[in-house]
Amino acid sequence: MWKESSVVATMASLQRPDFMPYQNNGGTVVAIGGEDYCIVSATTRLGLGFAIPTRNVCRYSILNNRVVLATAGMFADTATLHKVIKARVKIYEEQQDKPFGLHSAAQLLSNTLYYRRFFPYYTFNVLGGLDEDGQGFVYGFDAIGSGEKVKVVCNGTGQALIQPILDNQVEKKQQYENKQITKLSLQEAVDLIKDVFTSAGERDIYTGDAIDICIITKEKGVLVETFQLKQD
Amino acid sequence: MFLTRSEYDRGVNTFSPEGRLFQVEYAMEAIKLGSTAVGIQTAEGVVLAVEKRLSSPLLEPNSVEKLVEIDEHVGCAMSGLVADARTMIEHARVEAQNHRFTFDEAMPVESLTQATCDLALRFGEGVEDDEDKEEEMMSRPFGVSLLIAGVDNKGPALFYTDPSGTYIRWLAKAIGAGAEGAQSALQEAYYKSMTLKEAETLALRTLREVMEEKVESNNVEVAAVRTDTKKFVIYTEAQVKECLSRLENRDS
Amino acid sequence: MSQFNGADGGFQFDLLERNERLKEKGYQVPVARKTGTTIVGLVFRDGVVLGADTRATSDTTVFDKNCEKIHYIAPNIYCCGAGTAADTENTTALVSSQLELHRLNSGRESRVTTALTLLKRMLFRYQGYVSAALVLGGVDFYGPHLYTVYPHGSTDRLPFVTMGSGSLAAMSVFESKYMDDMSREEAEKLVYEAISAGIYNDLGSGGNVDLCVITRGQTEYLRGYAKENERKFRKPQGYSFPIGTTSILSSRFERSFVPTPFVSDPENSSTMAVD
Repeated sequence: MWKESSVVATMASLQRPDFMPYQNNGGTVVAIGGEDYCIVSATTRLGLGFAIPTRNVCRYSILNNRVVLATAGMFADTATLHKVIKARVKIYEEQQDKPFGLHSAAQLLSNTLYYRRFFPYYTFNVLGGLDEDGQGFVYGFDAIGSGEKVKVVCNGTGQALIQPILDNQVEKKQQYENKQITKLSLQEAVDLIKDVFTSAGERDIYTGDAIDICIITKEKGVLVETFQLKQD
Repeated sequence: MFLTRSEYDRGVNTFSPEGRLFQVEYAMEAIKLGSTAVGIQTAEGVVLAVEKRLSSPLLEPNSVEKLVEIDEHVGCAMSGLVADARTMIEHARVEAQNHRFTFDEAMPVESLTQATCDLALRFGEGVEDDEDKEEEMMSRPFGVSLLIAGVDNKGPALFYTDPSGTYIRWLAKAIGAGAEGAQSALQEAYYKSMTLKEAETLALRTLREVMEEKVESNNVEVAAVRTDTKKFVIYTEAQVKECLSRLENRDS
Repeated sequence: MSQFNGADGGFQFDLLERNERLKEKGYQVPVARKTGTTIVGLVFRDGVVLGADTRATSDTTVFDKNCEKIHYIAPNIYCCGAGTAADTENTTALVSSQLELHRLNSGRESRVTTALTLLKRMLFRYQGYVSAALVLGGVDFYGPHLYTVYPHGSTDRLPFVTMGSGSLAAMSVFESKYMDDMSREEAEKLVYEAISAGIYNDLGSGGNVDLCVITRGQTEYLRGYAKENERKFRKPQGYSFPIGTTSILSSRFERSFVPTPFVSDPENSSTMAVD
């Protein structure tokens, strides 16, 4: 005999929709900090499963003329996070009457992410800019706010393809004899970024269409250029 | 004192027909009863000095504390109701630490002063307690005035706050019972290229002029925030003695 | 025909139990390579055109940028495969060899319906576990034929068909532009457009366009009909590593071949003396 209550329970468990608030929209972000410049770049493809809802999303935010934030992961969370951070930057710059520093931005981002420790923003962030001395630095973060100040970082779906090349080319990792690190010029760094994204676009289906490249210098602030990738 | 003193001086949230908040004005009066405090800003840093009223020889001078640290780069001198100052300073300390936690940097002196003043006129305002119920916290203006001294990325700064929540930046400022005399003394002697040592001496000389008792190392407190170290330091009794001896040497 | 089906015919399942036990103990089962794919077929006036993209993926990684998805079945029959790469390749190869033997025995050209029957029987037998989604096309004695075969063994016979993850993109092109009785040129162009729609709008598809045009008595396999997705950019300086980039921690030289010393022993000499 069926017990009515057990049937109802079974039905309820079958009918209850699974709570799936996250989606992965892919995307790759790269940042390189140089002697007197910083480059932050992000792909513009928005993927969803096997579909491409749009080829031209903006994954970066210019926080001020020396700090840029770029984010891979779920785009709805990216948009919300950027909105929150930009609002905080605006309030800070009004209240403190000074530009928001790279280091403070990293601390604010880390806190903002960690406040969502048990229901995180599904975002993988890189933060790049110039510090007080005008030197380029970047920060890479996981989804819940653990971050590190480094010279080069990659996050997102192309990370496994790109990070080792950047480590080798920027930090000269695995090149034991080249202990004196030859610093990349701005042009070399831009070319390297274009190359690694092109390569990742060959093998990662979520990396493609185009990249936005934000070039941050003391003299010119933030300049943005777009570089085309393959559309397939 | 006021020509139209009437019912309007009772409620803290009620303007008089002349547009005055009597309770706030009375609070300002309370400061004029307080011990004198002076602050002097120089390029090398900011000096704070306060008078300690030792009303009895049995009183333990160290327990009278009128110079306090807000954060490592900011300190403050107070005059008026010292108990009220405690509330404001606690608020300021929380704001300073919150800024450090959020932005990983020292809070600029002006915004810290602003944050402190934000509390000044919140009397009678509901404050949420643990069970999210509104609770009346304060019922009157703070009867205290502060001299906030600090060093930030823009350099040294000295701010004066009053019970109305207004803050003003000064190069040299005196508050408390002897404020009037002290302020004119400061105005006479202050010059911009002053060294920190000269500011120490000027601060003590100013206090000496307005204090009833003779200035001793136990009835004044001195503190400074240096521009180079960006640290607020309250002077030890030995250091105060050294400053006093400089003052006496100059006189002789 | 048992020699083509393993020792006793069909698949061997002897590792199944062991693998289940390994899975229980937490062993990660390797994933099969699936070809997120766009494949299409189209009947025109004189025959059929088959088309495919050339991307093979494993999860979100591209494994092969230029793989062949149009498989040979018989000289007059070809078959596009979507699904698990190993399944499509082996299923078509199996049927292909069965038809080859059939031709040798009968001396006649293979018929498309024979290939279709063999494929659907095989796929139905394995109840969808052989995940091959196929587009089968060819021209035989009775004219051009075009079919789709689903992994569970069901089939369709239609004038234009699409399969794989890019099937919707490709079908939208067919639905808007297909006409009966098209010329070869029109058909080639339409199939190219359909595959392109899959390449550009489906992340599982990409790379080049392959075509196969089958008419009576003639088959043209147009590998790389369109190559619009070649790499666009390379760093001008390239990547060069000067000698000494990798440090030599220690070095030792050895002879890799040490000749055995020659011993003269006339008594036991194995070499024949030539007088």
